[in-house]
Amino acid sequence: MAAPIARRWFLLARRVPLPPISLAGKRCLLSAAYVDSHKWEAREKEHCHLADLASLMDKTYERKLPVSSLTISRFVDNISSREEIDHAEYYLYKFRHSPNCWYLRDWTIHTWIRQCLKYGAQDKALYTLVNKVQYGIFPDNFTFNLLMDSFITKENYKDALSVVFEIMLQEAFEVPSTQLLSFYVLYHCLAKKTDFSWEEERNFGASLLLPGLKQKNSVGLSSQLYGYALLGKVELQRGLRAVYHNMPLLWQPGYLNRALQVMEKVASSPEDGKLCAEALDVLDRTLKAVTAPACGSSEAQPQEEDGQGSEELVEQLDVEETEQSKLPQYLERFKDLHSKLEALGKVESESPLTLTIQLVKEQLPTFEAEDIATYEQKLQQWHLERVHLIQREQEQREKAKQEHEARRAAKASA
Amino acid sequence: MARKKLRPRLIAELARRVRALREQRERPRDSQRYALDYGTLTRPHSGRRLPARAWADVRRESSLLQLLSRLPLFGLGRLVTRKSWLWQHDEPCYWRLTRVRPDYTAQNLEHGKAWGILTFKGHTESEAREIAQVMHHDWRLVPKHEEAAFTAVTPAPPEDAQCRVPYPPLLRAMILAERRKSGDTSTEEPMLNLERTREHPWDYPAKQEAKKKAKAAAV
Repeated sequence: MAAPIARRWFLLARRVPLPPISLAGKRCLLSAAYVDSHKWEAREKEHCHLADLASLMDKTYERKLPVSSLTISRFVDNISSREEIDHAEYYLYKFRHSPNCWYLRDWTIHTWIRQCLKYGAQDKALYTLVNKVQYGIFPDNFTFNLLMDSFITKENYKDALSVVFEIMLQEAFEVPSTQLLSFYVLYHCLAKKTDFSWEEERNFGASLLLPGLKQKNSVGLSSQLYGYALLGKVELQRGLRAVYHNMPLLWQPGYLNRALQVMEKVASSPEDGKLCAEALDVLDRTLKAVTAPACGSSEAQPQEEDGQGSEELVEQLDVEETEQSKLPQYLERFKDLHSKLEALGKVESESPLTLTIQLVKEQLPTFEAEDIATYEQKLQQWHLERVHLIQREQEQREKAKQEHEARRAAKASA
Repeated sequence: MARKKLRPRLIAELARRVRALREQRERPRDSQRYALDYGTLTRPHSGRRLPARAWADVRRESSLLQLLSRLPLFGLGRLVTRKSWLWQHDEPCYWRLTRVRPDYTAQNLEHGKAWGILTFKGHTESEAREIAQVMHHDWRLVPKHEEAAFTAVTPAPPEDAQCRVPYPPLLRAMILAERRKSGDTSTEEPMLNLERTREHPWDYPAKQEAKKKAKAAAV
């Protein structure tokens, strides 16, 4: 019985590498051990009645006293149904608008996302994440990975893309597993749709650039190139401010120049990194697209931005004139570098999506193991912190009680 | 004529204290004082319009807490710069945040106070202090991957050695006579120090604590 299965496995292995598909036929990247919530369920939590906590918090807010982070964490811990998730969302909003908003704990945020996933409220989790200013939800990498994976398994790539954009805005691409998952989502969405609005292009550009800077392989280098190309396109069509405003990007002009610098680096470096043909195509198309209607775009822009006054144009004209004038140079440089890369054999013909899937299959298990180890350590740390906080709360309560008793005794004796 | 002893006016004293307490409780928060109507560029609290040179900046840039409200832990440990410094100076000028206290009454948590360590034109201060002009729409956040490049300082060329010159003859004679009178028997030549007193440029952030004390003292 093992032989036919082994034969089937060998046949599959000889084909083009398929994405890891589980028995249920759904696509999932993270292993079951990662998504497993037993360790989280097995943590020690205090069992409190939600109604009591809710009334306590309401009373504290009415008296304009600060609510402690322990109360809100107990509330989120003890959620047991979908309606209670809505109540918890309200209390998270209130906590964020209270004097203690800085002290929202990591474990509360993690528990909130886990509870949302458990009770099927992924859209609620995404909503609070997108409105992070109002709710204060800033998850760590492990939680981001769980959330993205839940969207990928449901094939909901639109929501997974929003999660990636949130990670980009928080600049949380430190951990390699997050980088790989984001690449997967980004390239999947790029392969599906081709025309985007300029905001989407800008977001895609930044989300490809930031993890691409951390990965030192073909996927990373191609993503850097792709990201710089998209950002350069937005820079030339919409102005530099459109690129860096409210984004974790630098305000210095010349994104297309940086794309060409990436190509130069790859061409001149002795290492093995290659650039995907798709990314090079995108850069080519961008350069042609912005050179051809150059006159048209610079006429259209002053009309659009008339309302914003001439001061903005003054700064931009300084910048854009040099950029527009450099475009023919960029085209030449691009053609030279492209031929050089082809001569050196550093152009990768496979699409970035297949490369990412390959990387995911090879490297994700090791990163997952590291992540799980860090997560367990963090769980213990959180446990210690929580114990410390509970102890402090009890000591304060006892002190308050003793003072109250002393005052009552003094009043009774006086 | 001797003054009559003033009888203690207790009710007035009590009224004064109650008024002070009410003023403290109902003081306008940062979110009310610095709220801005972006259409007409007026502050609703005081009814005043912003100065004309700020209009362009207010439309383009953001205030510090507007940037920080979008970051985890309100951007502790991150670097923030001002656009006016970027335009004015070549050397890196930035604040490294150490403490942030947002105003929780604001709807989008976009007002508040922040403290940090200043690095102005490459020279870092030793202690953290309150960040001045937090509500000005002039701030930019330095992305994490650009921090190293942004803070790299090219060391300035070494300044000339201390330029000290001998005194003119009359002053020199006066100084030596002074020395003889006070019994100072040192024989070193009196030298005049020509070094320029280092003054900060006009946009060096002033100390907020000193300003507050001055305001309190003026009352």
